[in-house]
Amino acid sequence: MLELDGAAGGGQLLRSALTLAMCTGQAFHIRRIRSGRSKPGLMRQHLTAVDAAAAICSADVDGAAPGATALRFTPGTIRGGDYAFAIGTAGSTTLVLQTVLPALLCANTPSTIDLQGGTHNPLAPPAEFLRDAYLPLLQRMGADVELELQRPGFYPAGGGALRASIHPCPLQPLTLRERGALSGLQALAWTSGIAPSVGERELAIVQRRLGLDAADLQRRTVQPPSGPGNALLLFARHEAVCEVFCGFGARGVSAEAVAERTCEAVRDYLCGSAAVGACLADQLLLPLALAGGGTFTTARITDHLQSNARLIEKFLPVEIDWHESDGCWQVDVRR
Amino acid sequence: MKKNVVIGFIGTQLDARFGAERWERWRPTVALGMHEDFVVHRMELLIDMRRGARLAKQIAADLAQVSPETEVCLHDTYIANPWDFESMYGALHDFCARQSFDPEHEDYYAHITTGTHVAQICLFLLTESRHLPGRLLQTSPPRARQDVAGAYSIIDLDLSKYDRIAQRFEQQQQEDRSFLKSGIATRNAAFNTMIEQIETVAIRSPAPMLLMGPTGAGKSQLARRVYELKRQRGTVSGAFVEINCATLRGDGAMSALFGHRKGAFTGAVSERAGLLRSADRGVLFLDEIGELGADEQAMLLRAIEDKRFLPVGSDREVCSDFQLIAGTNRDLGREIASGGFRDDLYARLNLWTFELPGLAARREDIEPNLDYELERYERSTHQRVRFNVEARERYLRFAMSADAQWPGNFRDLGASVSRMATLAVAGRIQVDGVDAEIARLRRLWRSADAPAMAADVDFEALLGERVAELDRFDRAQLGDVVAVCRRSRNLSEAGRTLFAASRQTRRSTNDSDRLRKYLARFGLSWSDVTVS
Repeated sequence: MLELDGAAGGGQLLRSALTLAMCTGQAFHIRRIRSGRSKPGLMRQHLTAVDAAAAICSADVDGAAPGATALRFTPGTIRGGDYAFAIGTAGSTTLVLQTVLPALLCANTPSTIDLQGGTHNPLAPPAEFLRDAYLPLLQRMGADVELELQRPGFYPAGGGALRASIHPCPLQPLTLRERGALSGLQALAWTSGIAPSVGERELAIVQRRLGLDAADLQRRTVQPPSGPGNALLLFARHEAVCEVFCGFGARGVSAEAVAERTCEAVRDYLCGSAAVGACLADQLLLPLALAGGGTFTTARITDHLQSNARLIEKFLPVEIDWHESDGCWQVDVRR
Repeated sequence: MKKNVVIGFIGTQLDARFGAERWERWRPTVALGMHEDFVVHRMELLIDMRRGARLAKQIAADLAQVSPETEVCLHDTYIANPWDFESMYGALHDFCARQSFDPEHEDYYAHITTGTHVAQICLFLLTESRHLPGRLLQTSPPRARQDVAGAYSIIDLDLSKYDRIAQRFEQQQQEDRSFLKSGIATRNAAFNTMIEQIETVAIRSPAPMLLMGPTGAGKSQLARRVYELKRQRGTVSGAFVEINCATLRGDGAMSALFGHRKGAFTGAVSERAGLLRSADRGVLFLDEIGELGADEQAMLLRAIEDKRFLPVGSDREVCSDFQLIAGTNRDLGREIASGGFRDDLYARLNLWTFELPGLAARREDIEPNLDYELERYERSTHQRVRFNVEARERYLRFAMSADAQWPGNFRDLGASVSRMATLAVAGRIQVDGVDAEIARLRRLWRSADAPAMAADVDFEALLGERVAELDRFDRAQLGDVVAVCRRSRNLSEAGRTLFAASRQTRRSTNDSDRLRKYLARFGLSWSDVTVS
């Protein structure tokens, strides 16, 4: 039984631990879950992730309750199949999918997984990020995964739907030092249950700041809306990698401000030379570790990445190191 | 893990929002499904479907979207007027009766934020009476604009679960007990335990109380305090009516207690309410209840049991809802055996019986009572009086010694303090004042109405030199025998008193002879002991 301290990282630490436990068969006991938060312990969206993980690998779970600060998770055998999970409080579907996806790649049979809840949540990767940035890299490592955003869902109403089809296959190491030449910049503005002009105003700013062609600007409306919401997505496609940036409309924040902020993030990325942004870097560690090796470059080593690396090393016989090279950081995963 | 089940109304105001913008408004029922740290496994929602079918459908759908963990059960509830207490209570009572609650596996919450205020009151009452075996759930709107879930708080009506409230009660209880003791910090453990019980009984029970104890033990004062505590707590609203039954003698007794009709007897020139009716909704304190005549006892029993009785000369019963406190210094159990007291009345009175010990049995309480009596003197005379330290020690040493009998208990102590305070020079009670008072008390306790004390016998005068041969063992017995002889008119009377118990069982008696022989053992005769 691996002992983990939940205070070292928030919900992400728990989700990574679940993924690693499922893939390695290693049981763990985590304490001080989300300690120091205003509402410490397991929240409903975390419980859904625990439930989903437990269902997929027939795990023995002890202590899963709202507000619980300790949890024991003993995984069993991973079983492929058709799964459906609904996440309350418009919780993120993408985070739950990321939790179980690597495990389903190790299953004996193909799987489909239907998720309901939020698809575009602040503090979580939007569905397009998984589809256009994360999954293509997994596919390059040999994974056969398809993702369909059936219907966007926003906080607080949720009501979004996501479907993934997963064919199990072993992962190969990946080397991603260069992003390659820029092949395109695109923008997508989602509006749901609010004036579509919000999306138009955002795209107008994007066009002005990043100099996009009208053909690369896309505005879509959720019909019928399951609740109010707005997300602006910017895609920076390079030969070797696609990065996705996202801004969220909120009450009291103008559409222009949302767009300006998102464009700023894109420009930061374009100015640098690192292959992947902070978010993608964090998420690549786990598949690379499961594949047994790999390399990528990123602009910063975040706290998230560090704590995630330390956790992975506890479950898997790998070493994760980073060093500065040519104005960015190179991260190496080795057996 | 237990399942959380919420019971509540779909609010026709706050919950009734339609269109996409409903998600930006706080809807209490939907918001219950939006709390990150609170899972509702089932919601039992009450709504009048004739008026609210569309709303109910939307609320159920929205809950399914934000809270897939929640099973929603709709209950079509028709309430003619949701502002009418009776119909609301009836509808909710019926609802509760239909539910098969399973508190072993489910935690219930009555959501009181939606519905009319009358609904809120009814949910509260049903929760408090445990018809709805759960807790109250109060939700409140969000403070920040970004948030739509707002806040929730769970209110357990078991107030002992709240530390600070429990502390308050504890404090109130202490105050009540202190109140019953007239603020005297008594130290006698048995007495304090009794006061705790009296406090509980006084607050919770309207049943009669019986205070037993010697004269001056504080029965009357305690009865008044119990009344005042009851009045503070709203369990009585009428007056405190107090009577010593020893003062009720003869024909007047009935009419004093139960009243009479005008012209009921010679001299009954006007109607009289009587003490029982004066104590309606209040407290009637009958001191020395053992002195009550047989007829009065019978009538009183009926008045306690039925709260009805017949005034003298009246053929119509009257009502009085009084709470009874009875006081006695006699052993009523023995009175019953001798036929002096009705056993059925005693059974009624004997539910809450408290025995107030005399002052001699509570020597550790003499000091706090001494301070109390001093304060009382100061309050009534507006004069400040203090003991000199040495004087106080000397007085307490005597007061707490076996020498001090305190036959009149607190009355004696009060009178003693009052005398010393009155005679004190410049508000100081000095050693000589205390010495004089101690001598005075000894004299008082020796005097006519109190039995003579063995300690008062001057053995030297009686026996001369032979006193040296007298064992302590014999001294006590002889002292008492001599004291009795001196109180008696002749040898036979003294004999009867001294051998009263064994007289009962013997066929032939010669008590005078037994006494004469006893005295002779010490070389004494009747005239020797009585003439000195």
